[in-house]
Amino acid sequence: MAKFVFKRLIYMVITLLIIATLTFFLMKLLPGSPLKNQEKLSPAQQEIILDKYGLNDPLPVQYVHYMANLFKGDLGLSFQYDNRPVSTMIGERIGPSAYLGFQAVVFGTIVGIILGLLAAIRQNSLLDYAATTVAVLGISIPSFVFAGLLQYYFAVKYPIFPVAAWEGFEYTVLPTIALSVFVIATVARYMRSELLEVLSSDYIMLARAKGISSFDIMVKHALRNALIPIITLLGPLAVNIMTGSLVIENIFGIPGIGQQFVRSIMTNDFTVIMGVTLFYSVLFIVVVFIVDILYGVIDPRIRLSGGKK
Amino acid sequence: MSTEQAEKNVELQKDLFQPAEKQALQSDTISRPSLNFWQDAWLRLKGNKGAIVGLILILLLSFMAIFGPSMNKYTYKEQNIAHAKLPPKIPALANIEWLPFDGKDKDGFDMYKAKNVKEAYWFGTDELGRDLWTRAWYGTRISIYIGLLAAIIDFFIGIAYGGISGFYGGRVDNIMQRVIEILMGIPHLIVVILFILVFEPGIFSITMAMVITGWVNMARIVRGQFLKLKGQEFVLASRTLGASGNRLIWKHLMPNVMGPIIVTTMFTIPSAIFTEAFLSFIGLGIRPPEASLGSLVNDGFKSLQVYPHMLIIPSVIISLLILSFNLLADGLRDALDPKMRK
Repeated sequence: MAKFVFKRLIYMVITLLIIATLTFFLMKLLPGSPLKNQEKLSPAQQEIILDKYGLNDPLPVQYVHYMANLFKGDLGLSFQYDNRPVSTMIGERIGPSAYLGFQAVVFGTIVGIILGLLAAIRQNSLLDYAATTVAVLGISIPSFVFAGLLQYYFAVKYPIFPVAAWEGFEYTVLPTIALSVFVIATVARYMRSELLEVLSSDYIMLARAKGISSFDIMVKHALRNALIPIITLLGPLAVNIMTGSLVIENIFGIPGIGQQFVRSIMTNDFTVIMGVTLFYSVLFIVVVFIVDILYGVIDPRIRLSGGKK
Repeated sequence: MSTEQAEKNVELQKDLFQPAEKQALQSDTISRPSLNFWQDAWLRLKGNKGAIVGLILILLLSFMAIFGPSMNKYTYKEQNIAHAKLPPKIPALANIEWLPFDGKDKDGFDMYKAKNVKEAYWFGTDELGRDLWTRAWYGTRISIYIGLLAAIIDFFIGIAYGGISGFYGGRVDNIMQRVIEILMGIPHLIVVILFILVFEPGIFSITMAMVITGWVNMARIVRGQFLKLKGQEFVLASRTLGASGNRLIWKHLMPNVMGPIIVTTMFTIPSAIFTEAFLSFIGLGIRPPEASLGSLVNDGFKSLQVYPHMLIIPSVIISLLILSFNLLADGLRDALDPKMRK
């Protein structure tokens, strides 16, 4: 187990280094000068400023500087917002994003498990078809489309929920639903097929033969084993929540990182874009790492083979 | 008594024999034509209602993507401010109550009369007076192009990489797998966004970004299948008979991996279409005046309260497009490899 964790850790570090390096060189490739009022400055003044920020150093030196700063959590200054540090801007906005993401994952997983469970218990019934349809639709309809339709029907046409602010639980209802649709669909699909597989296995038949009630079989035997693989879904779901938040936060006016990111794209605020990109990458990689380890801990078969399946 | 003696003693005469009954022999013959793998898969696919619906939808949407933009006299970038923000109107359907194609806005006010417009815009117009019918189908064209592109990348890069890695194994495989593991760790969207920032937003950047990241999943699947298959007896037999590596790959391994390859490709298409729409939606994809379904949805948001048709029409098309590919992919998966159902 320790060897497995160590190996994954090494991969994580390598991946992060590659992403950081990629980001650095892409920053260097970007067109334009970092100076704001370039035409008003004399060449000498320009030199002084470039010297001050170390932009005249040879590329390797700059690279080392950049990596050192990154290590300290310094992501540079924003071009657009009065030279504010990017890390501060991310820190201020992480709250709503994290809250919404967490709520969506929890809500989506619970609803998804229930849907999948119902579909598996009553296989090939109307209920099963309904759940399957919901799942296919949930995977197919893009989150931004769904968010738009939710907003149109439940906020504009029939004003049930308030939107476009961040002042309490009722403001989080629609964005949470929009974010969790994909989670619901994915979990429900997975849950259904896992349960169907588990329910046809020998130990369930044994439990039935012993006369255990259907309910106990479901809860104590089938559900537990079907839940394990759901953990592997957490990685892809986390990515989906991240990308989803980019649009959902904009549509519903939530002051989170996603909104900042899209705004920065619109205003060419490169340092913020890069900072948020790095932040998302780290988040993604850490989530994948944790999921891998968690899966190894829970399912001993993975430990023996020593890697992802 | 030994057998030799027995044979000599028994005289074999013709009347000892009777012709066997034809009936008994016939029960062993195969009366139906034997089906190969693909015919069998097609039969199973035909039985899947969802897949057939998906297939028909794909054909329909592809037809509209090809011919839709040239069905009326407007172009996707032609502006006519005087005709801005008109609701959809299809004269043939205008009298059907529940269809929203009567040219009236959400308060039941006939905008065409008010603005004295003689023409009918089938899907209405946007805030610059561009015809939404043309723009919507033009956007569909881009979506389908992106989907096909993703499939082609999967086919060429993914299969080549996975095939080489799986077939040769050993050190080659080891190195190639490490590269893949690192590539897998980098979120795709991040790479795409970085690419688009360095190059111009537009179809070229999206294409390039997808070339770099799009094939990893396919490579993993092909490699896994190759590893599994190349240890089996039929490959060993062929190898013993002196088949070259080339022949092994193309005649023996590839046909057996084709099922998973097609299924993976079919799942790549909708996710690529989604990625393009998503990027265009947040302003990183197709640039105006060109239209993409994602950017059309985004435009629709701006006038959501007053002109819902601008949001709903592209929303429905993009959803149908992704849905149809997902349905077909699901059906194909069940048809080609019942074991892969998950």
